[in-house]
Amino acid sequence: MKYYSYFPGCSLEATAVAYGLSTKAISGPLEMELIELEDWNCCGSTPYSSTEDLEAICIAARNLALAEKTGLDLVTPCSSCYCTLSRANSQLREYPELRDKVREILAAAGLEYKGQVRVRHLAEVLFNDIGLEFIKSKVVNPLSGLKVAPYYGCQLVRPTGFDDPENPQSLDLLIATLGAEATPFPLKSRCCGGSLIIPEMDLALGLIHQLLESATTNGAQCVATVCPLCQTNLDAYQGIVNSKFKTRYDLPVLFFTQLLGLALGIAPKELGFDKNIISAERVLAPFTTAARSVRET
Amino acid sequence: MGVKAYFMINMKGGGNGHADALADLEAMPEVEFVAPVSGQYDFMVKVDAPTGVVQVANKILEKEWVKHLDVLKIEPHIPKPFLEEVCSIPSGESINWCAQCGMCSASCPNVAQMDYSPRKIIALIRAGKREQVLTSNTMSVCASCYLCTARCPEEVKITELMHALECLAVRHGLRGGRTPTTIMHRAFTESIKKNGRVHEVGLMFRFYLRTNPFAALRLSTVGLKLFSHGRMPLRARKIKGIEQIKAIIDKAQALGGA
Ligand code: SF4
Ligand code: SF4
Repeated sequence: MKYYSYFPGCSLEATAVAYGLSTKAISGPLEMELIELEDWNCCGSTPYSSTEDLEAICIAARNLALAEKTGLDLVTPCSSCYCTLSRANSQLREYPELRDKVREILAAAGLEYKGQVRVRHLAEVLFNDIGLEFIKSKVVNPLSGLKVAPYYGCQLVRPTGFDDPENPQSLDLLIATLGAEATPFPLKSRCCGGSLIIPEMDLALGLIHQLLESATTNGAQCVATVCPLCQTNLDAYQGIVNSKFKTRYDLPVLFFTQLLGLALGIAPKELGFDKNIISAERVLAPFTTAARSVRET
Repeated sequence: MGVKAYFMINMKGGGNGHADALADLEAMPEVEFVAPVSGQYDFMVKVDAPTGVVQVANKILEKEWVKHLDVLKIEPHIPKPFLEEVCSIPSGESINWCAQCGMCSASCPNVAQMDYSPRKIIALIRAGKREQVLTSNTMSVCASCYLCTARCPEEVKITELMHALECLAVRHGLRGGRTPTTIMHRAFTESIKKNGRVHEVGLMFRFYLRTNPFAALRLSTVGLKLFSHGRMPLRARKIKGIEQIKAIIDKAQALGGA
């Protein structure tokens, strides 16, 4: 068993509840113990670092201070939390003056951060710590023939990611490990618009449209994502994209953990498939029946 | 050089003769910078007021096309040169390495919607064009995709620069409360200050209330779908350590800067 401090992030309790459910569900079979960070706060994300950066770094650092006491790596499934928390770490490492200020500010709240926490994304942990070999050994319901567009988005692979910033391969390999087929996806690490979907909706819809188009023309039956914002933008706004661009996309957008869970033989309802707005029922039908029978035997 | 002031100006007659009014303002020796703005006002003007802000304001009010003038802000002392100010922010110093090659602009997915491309923003900072940079929409349409940063051959931290510039625009009072992205950011940070977490329903609700409640209609289908799929809990969660968040923010505000 491997132990981690777990940082779900705000989205996993709301728009990305399926990500949280499926992450929890796969952790047991993959022998990971994800211990939720006690009383974590929002990482602050881009909106905070674009408003008052000193506050933003301190808000992120509160989480790092809490995590440091556990002595464990801090794992998050959210690419934005991953980027923001890693950024606080690297800014504190790089700028001694900032570090002194932040130390003083945290002290005012009775906290201390020495800079020892490793921030990690769940996808990276699965790839590097758990390993594809081990995952493969646990696959009981291979997703044979399923064509999946591997969507990395931005903040898992940039600026600090563990994989190539523009042509990453880890998720492709993971999809193949599950018995499915990773389709070519030229826009695999392109932007979905992120939180600009709220203030600059038309701009974001244009980006989402391009992504859906690229995935569809390359033959994908569904998209696998590693980020709550990507999932919501591509799934919940697909209808608006269709009406704006006169398109007829009907492309399920799944968290990679949902597909992983299915291949591990976990029951679909534990994986939150009912939370997907574009239903994946049709494309996953061959595997969901199999999952049930695997479980029953 | 004396005091600097920012004025917000309304035109008579529903904004006819916009170009003439712009030229009229630009011809004034006191005027350092004019930006046409959307929303409640027609122009934002920055003036140098060596003998007093009121004199300059009256001079503008005498113009027959001016309907109304509000003083947005008065700056008592001369601020740091802009380039110096940007370079003193963590990551801001990296613009010193920029070779103006244009790779960032060529990579940016949103460059077509920007007033100035990322490369141009850096050129403007170097030229000391504070108002032009800080009132531009460039930062508001940056999606923080980090593609520019990943591709820059000189390791300029362009995405960080975008965030830092938006912070400066907010700090200098140049966002004036009408930029949608800035309004979203504010609703987001308020949520954290209040609860320690972000409540996505509350965030969207506050955003549309402050910008355009009618735009929310377009989104009601998205909201309903999220809600009916159990993805929009109505209750906000509050962390136990909210007092720590408050202490952090108070102390950070007392120390200031970044
Ligand atoms: S890519 Fe880098 S060096 Fe080239 S213009 Fe942009 S910031 Fe400057
Ligand atoms: S981070 Fe911002 S400026 Fe840079 S490429 Fe992405 S959207 Fe453009």
